[in-house]
Amino acid sequence: MKLLLQRICLPLKEFTLEVDVGIQSQVTAIFGPSGAGKTSLLDLVAGLRRPKSALIQLSDRVLTDTARGWNISARSREIGYVPQDLALFPHLSVRGNLLFGYRAASNSLFRFEHVIDVLEIQPLLPRGVTDLSGGEKQRVALARALLTAPRLVLLDEPLASLDQKLKAKIIPYLCRVRDEFDLPMLYVTHDQAEAAALCDEVLVMESGRFVRQGKPDAIFVDYPMSLSAEGYSRRLEGLQSGENRQFSDD
Amino acid sequence: MKHPTIYRRFHTHSTFADGVLSKVIAGFVVVLMCCAARAGELTVFAAASLSDALKEIARNYEKQSGDRVVFNFGASSILARQIEEGAPADIFFSADEAKMDGLQKLGLILKETRQSRLSNSLVIVVAADSPLQVLSAQDLAGDKVRRIALADPKAVPAGVYARAYLEKARVWTAVERKIIPTENVRAALAAVESGNVDAGIVYKTDATVSRRVRVTCEVKPEEGPPISYPMAVVTESSRIEAGKRFLRHLDSVEAERVFEKYGFIVRKQR
Amino acid sequence: MSAEDWQIVWFTTWVSALSTLVILPFGLAAGLLLARRDWPGKSAVETILSLPLVMPPVATGLILLKLLGRRGALGGFLHDTLHLDIVFTWLAVLVSLSVMSFPLLVRSVRVAFEEVNPRLEQIARTLGASDLRVFWAITVRLAARGIIAGMILAFARALGEFGATIMVAGNIPGQTSTLSLAIFQSVQLGQDNHAFRLLAVSVALAFAAVGASEYLARRKWAPL
Repeated sequence: MKLLLQRICLPLKEFTLEVDVGIQSQVTAIFGPSGAGKTSLLDLVAGLRRPKSALIQLSDRVLTDTARGWNISARSREIGYVPQDLALFPHLSVRGNLLFGYRAASNSLFRFEHVIDVLEIQPLLPRGVTDLSGGEKQRVALARALLTAPRLVLLDEPLASLDQKLKAKIIPYLCRVRDEFDLPMLYVTHDQAEAAALCDEVLVMESGRFVRQGKPDAIFVDYPMSLSAEGYSRRLEGLQSGENRQFSDD
Repeated sequence: MKHPTIYRRFHTHSTFADGVLSKVIAGFVVVLMCCAARAGELTVFAAASLSDALKEIARNYEKQSGDRVVFNFGASSILARQIEEGAPADIFFSADEAKMDGLQKLGLILKETRQSRLSNSLVIVVAADSPLQVLSAQDLAGDKVRRIALADPKAVPAGVYARAYLEKARVWTAVERKIIPTENVRAALAAVESGNVDAGIVYKTDATVSRRVRVTCEVKPEEGPPISYPMAVVTESSRIEAGKRFLRHLDSVEAERVFEKYGFIVRKQR
Repeated sequence: MSAEDWQIVWFTTWVSALSTLVILPFGLAAGLLLARRDWPGKSAVETILSLPLVMPPVATGLILLKLLGRRGALGGFLHDTLHLDIVFTWLAVLVSLSVMSFPLLVRSVRVAFEEVNPRLEQIARTLGASDLRVFWAITVRLAARGIIAGMILAFARALGEFGATIMVAGNIPGQTSTLSLAIFQSVQLGQDNHAFRLLAVSVALAFAAVGASEYLARRKWAPL
């Protein structure tokens, strides 16, 4: 797949998001400290924000071209989005959430039974979303996005609010999704380990700009811990002091 | 100075409200009014149709006597109720005998001061720019007239008189559903002026002061009920002598001339 | 309670209910605009929408009378072209109830919409929902309790409306007589017992309406 993000300019509160890059790999990590503009970039790609200027092209399909006044609305982009707060609909059951954007898939890979099978959420179907555990919510949010038969999936810090044990449990699901559905993914994270485990390529973002692009090994050799700011250093402290920090479920 | 014409009321004879409650409310009203009243100020509760004539008479009276006269104009039925509940009127000038009888029965007016010398006549009016020709009561029953404004025929004297007239002309049942009842006769006049109703029945004296209505029919005395405007001093007034003075003035030749100027009929008593 | 009295109760109830339904689409639109958008002059719009709440009802009634009377800007047009009279008919009652209760509905609806996380609406769009579907399936569903509470409040306000109604519709027995107007007239005529009977019905209706509103406010929200 080829994702072109050219001439992107989006003024934010403290800096301007400026991106000019082509992405060839299947699973790409966007790595950087919180507040670097990663979520805004995902919003842009999903069509939820209007940039000052941009050319966004997914494979042969132009999604946004401000020069020609061309823009495809978010609902027609066929891009799945798993946001940081998951945004599960509280008034619908798990099944209701999953079926919300479900397109009777012409591509059998994304049919209902298959997706819930891969993510093992069959027993959760009749339940309400508010009393699911953190890991369960993650899988439901991911399944919901997959059921729209997307061409690209955006994940915004999917494991950020989970503790070590849960992360270890969810990463296999993500690998499974990567392998089963053969979907390109943009994976935002500030965790080196996740990026290394899942992604083919890493883009490092700082204050709205990409400062490095390359394979995980290459990148993380050159970039010391201080780059991934608060979260990373806190986690490291936690590991060193032997604590197993529990993060609250969202 | 304008007095509020709406007081909260609890009927003294109802099974629910007791005398204490109504006296508390009346007392409250009295306190309010006393704050505004000054010595030598006379409060006259008078029928709405009398407003222009009485205001002119009072202007002259104030210059002569030095007493200030303050008016509360409204439907006689409403004013009578307010006096029943203890509103601080010094004089009551009603548009029909029935309301005065009611107060007299309750001992709320001084019998010996009661006198009736004023009368009026009814007219049918339409808006000044209206092409309608309503020459008789029968015309009111016709199709061209869809809405008729009257002071509330259930209680307000002007409306009671109008209904009596329409019943005598045997058209009441035909026009009943066209009636728009208003709070007093001046409100009926205003409704006709605004063009929101097709016709109205008001006093001749009301039609005289308005340039925005046209009289299409004058009700002859024998076609309508007898109209009479009694006046009296209120028993619980604190200015009985000043009240009697004003009543005597209302009886004078000077006042007669003003009433006749506005179209009232004055019964000569001498 | 005579047959006429029950007619008054029935009339008051259905015209209040109808006015609530009539203002609902406008209330939803206004609430949504105020909750989600910003524009120069927004505070002027908010002020105008609040006016019927703050002005004396008879003043609002006077404005409506001037506007809708046969010589008024709107009423004249309706009278001349459509031969439709509004003042002194049940339509005037409908208009005055609608105008007086509209601000209450907009307030409740706006707050209800403001409490819906806009992120949920955004995600719904990425899941392929049209703007209309996002509005009905997400925004309105999540704001439903607040919207219904607002409707009940508007209904209760309409039930008790007096000042504007008496100005623009008068108190015509059998045609525009509402509970409040009938109570007022009974007192004027010295029929206090009758007035208290109507008062009791009025209180019962208001009680039921406010009670329902409180119940809704307290009920735990459950997935549909």
